[in-house]
Amino acid sequence: MTLLQVKGVSRRFGGVRALNDISFDMQAGEIVGLMGANGAGKTTLFSLIAGNVAPSAGEIWFDNNRIDGLAPHQVNRLGIARTFQIVRPFANMTVLENIAVGALYGRGRTMSQHRARERCMQILEEVGLADRSDMLASALTLAGRKRLEVARALATEPRLLLLDEVLAGLNATEARDALDLLRRLRASRSLSIVVIEHVMKALMQLSERIIVLHDGQKVMEGVPAEVANDPRVIKAYLGEKRGAEHP
Amino acid sequence: MDTLLSPQLLIAALVLAAIYALIALGLNLIYGTMRLLNVAHGEIMMLAGYVSYWAFVRLGIGPLVSMIAAMLIAAILGALCYLTIFRAVVRNRQLAARLESNSLLIFFGISIIVQNILSIAFSADPRSYSYLDAIIPVFGARVELNRLVVLAIGALATAACVIFFRYSRLGLAIRALIQQRDAASLIGIDAEKINLLVFSLGFAMAGLAGSLIGMTSAISPFGGFPYTISAFIVIILGGLGNLAGGLLGAAVLAFVEIYGVAATSSAYRSILVYGLFIVILLIRPQGLLGRRAA
Amino acid sequence: MSKKTLIETILAVVGVVFLAFAPWFVGAYWLGVLLQLMSWIALTQSWVAFSGLSGYVSLAQAVFYGLGAYVMAVLWQQAPIWQVLLLAGVAATILAVVIGYPALRVRGPYFVILTLGLSEFVKYIVVAIEAATESSGRLLLGTPDPEILYYLLFGLAVIASLLTFWLSRSRWGVGLRAIREDETAAATLGVPVAFLKTGAFALSAFIPGVVGAIWVMRTTYFEPLELFSPALSFSVVTIAIVGGSDQAPGPILGATFIVILSELLWARVPQLYLILLGLLLISFVLFLPRGIYGQISALQSGKRS
Repeated sequence: MTLLQVKGVSRRFGGVRALNDISFDMQAGEIVGLMGANGAGKTTLFSLIAGNVAPSAGEIWFDNNRIDGLAPHQVNRLGIARTFQIVRPFANMTVLENIAVGALYGRGRTMSQHRARERCMQILEEVGLADRSDMLASALTLAGRKRLEVARALATEPRLLLLDEVLAGLNATEARDALDLLRRLRASRSLSIVVIEHVMKALMQLSERIIVLHDGQKVMEGVPAEVANDPRVIKAYLGEKRGAEHP
Repeated sequence: MDTLLSPQLLIAALVLAAIYALIALGLNLIYGTMRLLNVAHGEIMMLAGYVSYWAFVRLGIGPLVSMIAAMLIAAILGALCYLTIFRAVVRNRQLAARLESNSLLIFFGISIIVQNILSIAFSADPRSYSYLDAIIPVFGARVELNRLVVLAIGALATAACVIFFRYSRLGLAIRALIQQRDAASLIGIDAEKINLLVFSLGFAMAGLAGSLIGMTSAISPFGGFPYTISAFIVIILGGLGNLAGGLLGAAVLAFVEIYGVAATSSAYRSILVYGLFIVILLIRPQGLLGRRAA
Repeated sequence: MSKKTLIETILAVVGVVFLAFAPWFVGAYWLGVLLQLMSWIALTQSWVAFSGLSGYVSLAQAVFYGLGAYVMAVLWQQAPIWQVLLLAGVAATILAVVIGYPALRVRGPYFVILTLGLSEFVKYIVVAIEAATESSGRLLLGTPDPEILYYLLFGLAVIASLLTFWLSRSRWGVGLRAIREDETAAATLGVPVAFLKTGAFALSAFIPGVVGAIWVMRTTYFEPLELFSPALSFSVVTIAIVGGSDQAPGPILGATFIVILSELLWARVPQLYLILLGLLLISFVLFLPRGIYGQISALQSGKRS
């Protein structure tokens, strides 16, 4: 079934057009990669979908509900969760308390704090933060905070997860662990994921389909192999001259 | 209604605008560069006013001379505040996370302390002195000379500041710091030294304003608060941190105040002023000239 | 039950019993002091319930307090006191919703200054109304005995404390604290930020309204410039900072500390008392931002950091 539909979405900030007429569909259960140079509009697109920002034009539909213009918590209620490119942990709360916020409020639920705690411990086990549950979020390493960000989003039990550069800033080992974690999480839940990533290899490995943005426009979409060889993509990433040299 | 067009009112509005412009500049400097909310601004003004008062009444020195001393004292106080308190606040990550609220509270503490020190030193009664109060006819209005002097000095000081910020290297550095703190320090602008300078300068301008006010109105230890509020209204009108906007805001507030009161009655002054304040905050919080934060 | 909770519960029970029987054995002067203490506790607990938890520093306490007093002054002896007290609280709550809905859409420094501006605005409107109706201050004759006022305020202080206690432990408390930490992230996690903020703000206005209505009976004189004074708002904030602005015992400790200080210094050297207050505020913000109780709590819970 079609889970997410982005139709002709644009967003301006003052005179700058961050996104211009973006359209794509997403089926339930897919992992879609979102690719593009800095400033291409990827995070803006996430903000539009998640409700942090409203589009200047266009519509966004999620599971047959129109969601553009809704407040973030309303979007979450319908089943979308996102992480932020620069992580936003609740610094003065413990890891457990951070996740508890997601568990207590996610999807508009009202569950008792006791049950929420249990749910949280489960998630903590899954993401490998169980031994740090009592630690203040501000004391975690970057890798830990990234996990926390994902765990917190998962605690809301979303159907669509928007991951914004979860691998940025991680070393090779940490990144590999993170990728494994994502695959495991996806396998254990019926989760659809859109992932923004700069680490090209990871994006290619993870995604079933990739959408390429450049300067706020959608350049193309396709399976990883198509995208890697597409001349427009090569031009956008590597420049004109190089593009002429590579097949 | 023809009194509304009188030159009397116009001069009054201009004098008030000059005072507000000075206050706004000082407040905007400190907020713009360090995001600190100086709610003790009015108290610094009163302190300066008392310095000039004391100099005049006890030592016979005219305020036109003592205002230099008042500015210096205010500047030193500013430097002290920065070095002992605010440098640490800006550096400390926990405190900096809630910088505006914390600075508000700290400055509020400072204002209480200054108010009560002044109260001990001079008692709580309002003080005033007469200086240059000969009446001068100007364009058909009859204005006290001291008000004209206030207008002249206020305008001069404001102009000097504008020139400084536009054309001097230091002024440029300060403006750069206001626009983009992190980027500015990356290109070699010594943020710490500038912070110190900005604090001293901001306080000095409050000092000048206070000294000038003492010439035309009564001062009291607890009389600073209305000026602080007016100062905030002015800088919010103009956009927080926007130096040029502060000047515009000063003019707008001064004119609304003087003409509004003339059209209604002095009882409505506060309602007009606060009403304007609320409307601006709700409709256009970035001020008349500010840019909306993305 | 942990040792800390046990100690706190015992202290609370002892305190409540002592305060409940206080009018029997303290003289008129000390009853007055306790009246002040109860007022500050009630006012500050209400402030903490909203501002402490959400991080939105509000300087609007004075306007809720003043409005409550105004309601009592205007309706004096025109309705049973109980009804008027209730009405005072309701009026304050309505004002909070009216103010809160637009005000809570602005963040950070704007919100603080806006609440201050709104308080002053309402104050001067009341002053203008009073001037227009040509009443220069209203006198309340035949007010209840101090003992009755004391029990009313004592009851309010207890209710306010219980409210903050409950709220800070509830799911709503978690949501408010999430807002304090990072409002955008909280919203993305499903926290209904506008609803929570406005609700807590409205809730935090009710008790100050009633306190104002009671206090004007104590002073028997309604003077808007005094009753709407921003000094009250700032005092509440100071008490919260000193005592602790995150949980219920904080305001109790803070108010007690401040009232004791006030008793020691006010009569002799009021300016010195205020200077000390200013120094305290600065010191606590710089070195002990969690307040006395917050610090004790943090040391005890041993959160790893």
